[in-house]
Amino acid sequence: MNHESTKVPKPAISHLIWWFLFANGGGLAALVLPVHILVQGVLGPLGVVHVVDRNYDTWIGILGNPIVKLYLLGLISLAFFHFAHRLRYFLVDLGVPAARTFPVQLIFYGGAVVVTAVTIWVLVTTAPISFG
Amino acid sequence: MTEGDEAEASTGATPRVYKPEMPRGWWLRRRHYLLYMVREFTAVPMALWLLWLLAEIHRAASGPKAYYPAASPAFIVFSVICLGFAMYHSITFLSLAGVIIHLKFMGKPVPPRTIVGAMFGLWLVASVVIAAVLIGFAR
Amino acid sequence: MAEKRITIRTTRFDPDKDKVPRLQSYDIPFSDDSMVVLDALNHIKAHVDGSLSYRWSCRMGICGSCGMMVNGVPKLTCSAFMRDYWPRSITVEPLQNFPIVRDLVIDMEDFMHKLKSIKPWIIRKQEYPLGAGEHRQTMDQIDEFRQFSECINCMLCYAACPVYGLNNEFLGPAATALARRYNLDSRDQGLKDRLPVLANSEGVWECSFVGECSVVCPKGVDPAKAIQQTKLDTTTRFVLPYGNREE
Repeated sequence: MNHESTKVPKPAISHLIWWFLFANGGGLAALVLPVHILVQGVLGPLGVVHVVDRNYDTWIGILGNPIVKLYLLGLISLAFFHFAHRLRYFLVDLGVPAARTFPVQLIFYGGAVVVTAVTIWVLVTTAPISFG
Repeated sequence: MTEGDEAEASTGATPRVYKPEMPRGWWLRRRHYLLYMVREFTAVPMALWLLWLLAEIHRAASGPKAYYPAASPAFIVFSVICLGFAMYHSITFLSLAGVIIHLKFMGKPVPPRTIVGAMFGLWLVASVVIAAVLIGFAR
Repeated sequence: MAEKRITIRTTRFDPDKDKVPRLQSYDIPFSDDSMVVLDALNHIKAHVDGSLSYRWSCRMGICGSCGMMVNGVPKLTCSAFMRDYWPRSITVEPLQNFPIVRDLVIDMEDFMHKLKSIKPWIIRKQEYPLGAGEHRQTMDQIDEFRQFSECINCMLCYAACPVYGLNNEFLGPAATALARRYNLDSRDQGLKDRLPVLANSEGVWECSFVGECSVVCPKGVDPAKAIQQTKLDTTTRFVLPYGNREE
């Protein structure tokens, strides 16, 4: 409410980028995550259906597919930008105004960058790329 | 004013006003606020489950001998909980897309209901395709 | 038949005497089913306690002066029928999230400043000479923004907005809705003037889409939609450089 503020307002490009990643991550996760959890997290372990990740050969086979690698990278990375963004606003809502500050932004979105890097490393080292 | 507001009448300045502060539990006061907080919280279980997925991928790197897919009851319960939150995220996120996305078709704005319908249709198609791949390539 | 009565509790705050606001109860006759909460306040002021202070003017949902918290929900008191609450008591408090000046009167300086900051008028790069006639608009062009032009500046949306409650620097719902009203107007060319205020760090990015602003709006305006669409448009303009609207 500081009306005498002399700072000239300008569009916040960083917020724009975070929001863009948040929205895309949220949208992608909304479309695909429930079925992953249902099939890989519930039906597969219960033995209701056969699922690729229940068997080493089929799991490594599908993980070798470059399209699958790109898809998993996109899903995990964007979902973590979504997570970082939502958690930061969630903390503000819970009464932690510090979550609005630049250092916290750096930690949260930087964390999503780290998860992205780890995901790339895991996907590259897990199964050799093959089109089999 | 409601109790719990940690506030004081400002002193000295004219005119003297009372500045109320948001109570910490503001989101417990109305159903809509509570549902909003649940919606925001969904990101946490979703992220946790994806971390598990990342671990599942990584465990395949150490060869066929070391690979045992998760099957403990605790993991299944964890997945069921995450599934509930993920479904809530999907329903709220895709419903709100109708508010945000504004498209025009033949010069006329597309009604939000059509956009939301298309989003839920896309959700169904994506789910069927992914389930087909996850189950179809299994042995 | 015994006369129906109703208990009204209102916030009382005298800045010269009180340290914090308190609630005062009034037992008044509920004589007519068409009575609204504002009628009850007027009854108290006329017949019970002349010192009660509150804002009101038109009594018909046009002026936007009489917004208050009625049982915890922001309402225009002229449109809040007592029959919807009776026989329960009614608690009337000043609009949430604003400084209280006296009793039910809030300080609206902050909102006025924000309203002005988004330049809610038609901006032209070059004004037409009067002789050139009027700016013509089709019905479709009017429909683009009509909904957002219904805002009466009653500030109920600010009282409903936890983001504004937690951070008063946030531009807020009504100001963004009005900015969008002008940005969508085919006669307007002021987008570039408004964008710095709309899209700065205290602008639309602060909003986490609670959506309660649109629920409480007495005029059917959808400020939450205005804010999210501003986010989307700003992002699209940035991501797709050729998407810039230039007229």
